[in-house]
Amino acid sequence: MAKKIILGIETTCDETSVAIVENGEKILSNIIASQIRIHQEYGGVVPEIASREHMKNILITCAEALKKAGMQLREIDGIAIANGPGLKGSLLVGLSFAKAVSFALDKPLIGVNHIEGHIYANFLVHRNIKVPFISLIVSGGHTSLILVNEIGQHELLGATRDDAAGEVFDKIAKYLNLGYPGGPIIEKLALKGVKDAITFPRPLTRTPNLDFSFSGLKTAVIYFVNEKKKIQEEQKIEDICASFQQAIIETLIHKTLLASEKHDINTIVVGGGVAANESLRKGMLEAGKANNKKIFFPTKELCTDNAAMIAVVGYYKLMKGFTDSYDLDVYTE
Amino acid sequence: MKILGIDTTTDILNLAIIDNGNIIFDYMINKPGITHSSIIVSSLKNIMNIAEINIKELGGIAVSIGPGSFTGLRVGLATAKGLAFSLSIPIVAVNSLESYALRWKELPGLLCPIIKARKDDYYFAFFKKEKNHSRLIKIEDYQCLDWIGIDRIFDKYKEHIFVFGEGLKEIIRDNQAMYSYKNKVVLIAREQEPPGARNIALLGEERLLEKKEDNIYEISPFYIKKSAAEQKRKEQKNCREDINKNG
Repeated sequence: MAKKIILGIETTCDETSVAIVENGEKILSNIIASQIRIHQEYGGVVPEIASREHMKNILITCAEALKKAGMQLREIDGIAIANGPGLKGSLLVGLSFAKAVSFALDKPLIGVNHIEGHIYANFLVHRNIKVPFISLIVSGGHTSLILVNEIGQHELLGATRDDAAGEVFDKIAKYLNLGYPGGPIIEKLALKGVKDAITFPRPLTRTPNLDFSFSGLKTAVIYFVNEKKKIQEEQKIEDICASFQQAIIETLIHKTLLASEKHDINTIVVGGGVAANESLRKGMLEAGKANNKKIFFPTKELCTDNAAMIAVVGYYKLMKGFTDSYDLDVYTE
Repeated sequence: MKILGIDTTTDILNLAIIDNGNIIFDYMINKPGITHSSIIVSSLKNIMNIAEINIKELGGIAVSIGPGSFTGLRVGLATAKGLAFSLSIPIVAVNSLESYALRWKELPGLLCPIIKARKDDYYFAFFKKEKNHSRLIKIEDYQCLDWIGIDRIFDKYKEHIFVFGEGLKEIIRDNQAMYSYKNKVVLIAREQEPPGARNIALLGEERLLEKKEDNIYEISPFYIKKSAAEQKRKEQKNCREDINKNG
């Protein structure tokens, strides 16, 4: 089979990334320009600043990706662009650039759903994932359970009704004045804490549906901290972090296993920024072993937003003949 | 040499191609609710089909970098960079207000193009035609003020001042095409011409002939204003410093 080279572009939130991927599995380059340090000052992503940074970074990131892959633009077979969901202003920078490149080179334009990208990031690492599988996508913007019957055929089984899991990590970290982004900070503190020191709720774990809800858990943690302050009782911050993290992880694992049982599918594929959390990885693998499930995670690097995963989805869409016209627009959710 | 001019500064999408100074097409579309990003490349493709021009014939891209709508500027510039980079052709960045002023350069007086900014503010600058020359000199730098602030600057000058541009739509709400006051300020409210793309392309051509192309990696939108979050942060910082200083 002839080689197919896809140029992937990702600008949905605060990472500008351009990648070149061969046949949907081999990364030739995957350049990521992160804006985390800039947004840290504000305790979260500021959309206008994110858009400005994407504008600054997009071309140089693309040039670096080509250079690292040792490729010329004309050797590309298609341009895959994550056109949603995400921040509108950020998405527009990537999409405008992608369309222009596609038109100038006369190469197909392929719009890719960012969440699908997180699922298929696993294909860059594992060659033995078989459909059908259940996918848990868990990040700062999304918490979703997806049934993948065939590659490219997705059925949403459940999603968060309010905050995404990663968003709650950020909000709790902000409330406790720990900084941004919350995930890695809380994870680090949790290592030194006792995970069953405090019993926080495991939301919606007693219902048979596959939706998530994390805002109640967030409120419970904040309420707990306030109460302790009131009665001037010391509670180790490490214990709060460990117990809160445990509540989220157990909920995620419980719901994912429930989806797997409900649909009688034994392969589980996890992705998204929170999938880099070591305790979630360990917990999920243990649960998989105990319940006879095959569990797949991408490498930690490929859990964060990156363009290689967008190129993978682009590859499969192109192989099936799904390309987009230049009327393609962005979508925020 | 064929040059593509791109203007996404305002709600109007304006694209033009010139060939050795002649305008081949000057296309504009102003449809509320449709984003520039969703139509800019498809419009370009359609027009080039009709004009029977292949994209590979382009010798350069000239793009308006603002001031103007933040999102619009980024859509235009990201498109321009994608085209120029892929085609390996030079790119020239043009100021939106300068391109608008060029349209009225024959008027006998000062030129003040204005573009709507956020809230009650407008981007503007004052230009004057060089004597015995077709070039414009900027006599009031690019700024962002409300109408009262701009009006105050009018008082500094004795000459006639011609005010025009998309921003005027907000100031003159009735149907008058022209409006004059203070015996010297003339507001040109209704313009039939598309905004800036052809002048952007013409300026681009001029600069390319002078070998004054821009560095494609370094061009960025001319926002004038910092993002609201950065402004707020600066104010808070200043406030803290004042408190520290004054106890």
